[in-house]
Amino acid sequence: MSATIPPRRRALEQLVGFAPVLIFAGMLVHIGIQAPGFVSLLTLGLVLEQSLPVVLVCIGMSIVVMAGGEDVVAGGIDLSIPATTVLAAGILAQWLAADGGFVMACLLALGAALLVGATNAALVAWIGLTPLLASLAMFGAVVGVNNMVTASRRINVDHPIILWLRDAEIAGIAVGILCVAAFGLAAYHLLHRTRFGLHLQAGGGSVEAAEMVGLSARRHLAIAFLLAALTGFIAGFFVLARGSGSSPGVEDNLMLEMVLATYLGAAFSPRRVVTLWGAVLGALLVGAITIGFKSMGVNVFWLGLIKGALILTVVAFAALAKRGRA
Amino acid sequence: MKNAYVLAGVVASVAFATPALADDHLTLEGRTIGVAVVGTQHFWDREAFNGAVDTVEALGGTVRAVDGGRDNQVHADNHDILRAAGVDAVISILGDGAVEPKFEALRAADIPVFTVDHPSPHSINNTTSDNYYMGTTIGRLMADALEGEGKVAVFNAFENALRICAIRTQLWKYVLQDYPGIEILEPELAEEFANAPEDARRQTLDLLSQYPEGELDAIHVGCWDQPAIGVVQALEETGRDDDVIVTALDAGPDTLEIMAEEGSPFVANVAQQPRLIGTISAQNVARHFAGETLLSQTYVDVMPVDGRDGAIETYGELGYGSLE
Repeated sequence: MSATIPPRRRALEQLVGFAPVLIFAGMLVHIGIQAPGFVSLLTLGLVLEQSLPVVLVCIGMSIVVMAGGEDVVAGGIDLSIPATTVLAAGILAQWLAADGGFVMACLLALGAALLVGATNAALVAWIGLTPLLASLAMFGAVVGVNNMVTASRRINVDHPIILWLRDAEIAGIAVGILCVAAFGLAAYHLLHRTRFGLHLQAGGGSVEAAEMVGLSARRHLAIAFLLAALTGFIAGFFVLARGSGSSPGVEDNLMLEMVLATYLGAAFSPRRVVTLWGAVLGALLVGAITIGFKSMGVNVFWLGLIKGALILTVVAFAALAKRGRA
Repeated sequence: MKNAYVLAGVVASVAFATPALADDHLTLEGRTIGVAVVGTQHFWDREAFNGAVDTVEALGGTVRAVDGGRDNQVHADNHDILRAAGVDAVISILGDGAVEPKFEALRAADIPVFTVDHPSPHSINNTTSDNYYMGTTIGRLMADALEGEGKVAVFNAFENALRICAIRTQLWKYVLQDYPGIEILEPELAEEFANAPEDARRQTLDLLSQYPEGELDAIHVGCWDQPAIGVVQALEETGRDDDVIVTALDAGPDTLEIMAEEGSPFVANVAQQPRLIGTISAQNVARHFAGETLLSQTYVDVMPVDGRDGAIETYGELGYGSLE
C-alpha cells in the first residue's frame, strides 16, 4: 500500500507525525536561549527527579493504551492512575504518621490501588463502559476516598525509607532515578520481550484479530488496568518522597502531565503509536518544558494554558497522522 | 504549654512588632533575588508577593519570580528552579512542609532563605503577622459576639501542616476555654487549599442540614478567610444568616466588603498587612547582605475588625478605598 503513496504526500505525513516533537524541540531551543543556565547538568537532574511520578503514571497509562487500543475515547485509557497514586500516598502517609509499620502501610496502599484497578477492569472489560468515562468517574471517586483518608490535610512523612528515596544517591545518581529506571526496564521487558506482553499488545492492535487466534483481549485489558494501578501505587512512594509527605491537590497536575506526555510520546514511535519508551520520553520532555518556562519567568497560569494547548495539538496531529495512514 | 503560647504572644507583639523601616542605605544592586509564592489568586498571596517584588526592584535588585498556582507541591519544586538558576537569595512566601528539604538544599548551596508566614529552622528570617495576637483577638471577638454561649463549627485544615495556623487556631481555642458556654463541634471541618470558597460553601450546606436552626450559632475559619466567602454564601442561600455568625482571619478588601454589607453574618476578623509583610521581608534580605544581624522572626502589626463599622473603618485605614 505504501508504494502507491506519492513521495510528497509521504513527506507531509512524516512531517505531521513528527510535528509534536518538532514543536517541543523548538520550545526547548527557545528556552535554552532565553533562560541562561537552563542547559546544565543541574537542570537535567531536576528534570529527571521532578518527573519521576509522571514517568511512572505514564508507564501505567501506556500499558493500558497498548492493551486497549489508541482510540482516545473507546480504546485504552486510564485517567484514574493519578488518583490511585495520591490514594496510595495518602494511605502510606496516614499509616506511617501513626507509626503503623512500613510493611503494613505498603500492604494497605497496594490493596487499595489494586481494588481501584480491579474495579476499572470490571467496569471496562466486563461491563463494557467507555474507558474514558469509567476512569474519569473513578478518578473523582478515588480522590474523594483519599480526601476522607487524609481528611484533606497535609501529612508530613519522615520515614527513613521515604527519606532514602528522596535523598540517597548511588554513584552520584539519585536513587529515585535508578529505581524508576529499573522499573521502566522491567516493564519494557514484560511488554516487549514476553509472550504475555505480545498478547497484550495484540488485543490493543485489533480485538477481532486477537480473538480469532484465541487470545482474550478483554482479559489482557483487565490485567493492563491492574498493572496501571500497580504503577500508580509505586508512584505514590515518589509523590511522598518528592513532597516529604502527602499534600492535597497533587492529582490534577499529575493527570494533565500524564495525558500530555503519553500522547506526545507517540510522536517518537515510527508508527506514531503510544509506546512505553515514548511515554517515558514524553514525560521527561514535559518536565523539561515545565521547568524551562518557569526558568523564563512564564506565569503559572500561562503554563496551564500552554500545556492544555499542547495536549490539543498533540492529539490533533496524532489524529491527522492516523488519517494519513488510513 | 498553652500558657507558653500566650506568653510568647505577648512578648512577640510587644517586643518585636516591627514597623516598615526606611533605611536609605539598603541596596540589592547587582543581586538576583528569587521570589517563590504559593499562588497569586488570593489577595493576601498576591499582595505579599507584589510587596516583595516591588521592594527588591526598588532596591536595585533583579527578581526571578516563580508561582506555585496554589499547589504546595509545585511551590516546593519551584525552589529547585531558583537553586538551579543560582539566585543570590530566596524569599519564600507561604508553603507547607514540602518546602523544608528545598530550603535545606538552598542553604547547602549557600543561598540564604527568607520566609514569609513560614517559620523554618532553615530560614534566616521569617516575616509574618503577629499571629499570637490574631488568635487571641478573634477568640475574644467571637466570644463577645456570641455573648459567651453557643455551638461553633470550625474549618481547620492546616493546624497540623502550617505553624502560623497552629498558633492562630490553638490560641483561639485557648481563649474559648474561658467561655464554658461555647462548644466547639466535632469533627472539625477541613477546607480545600485551592478552591476554598466553593468547597466551603458546599461543606457549609451539608453542615446546615446536619444542624437545624438553633443548633448551630457560629462558623469560624481558623487560619484565613477565603473559605468564609463560601460560608456566607451558604448561609444567605439557606436563610440562616440571621442565626449563625461567621468569624475568620485575614480581612482583605473582598472579605471586608462582605462584612460591611447591611446585616452581614460575617461579624469579626483580624486584618493583616500582606504588602507590608512582603516589603519588610525584601528589606530584611538587603539588611542581611549589609551585614546586619536579623531576628529570626519579624512581626508586623494587625488590626482587629469588629462588626460592620469596624470593616468600613479598616477598609479605609488600609487604603482599599471607601465603603461609606
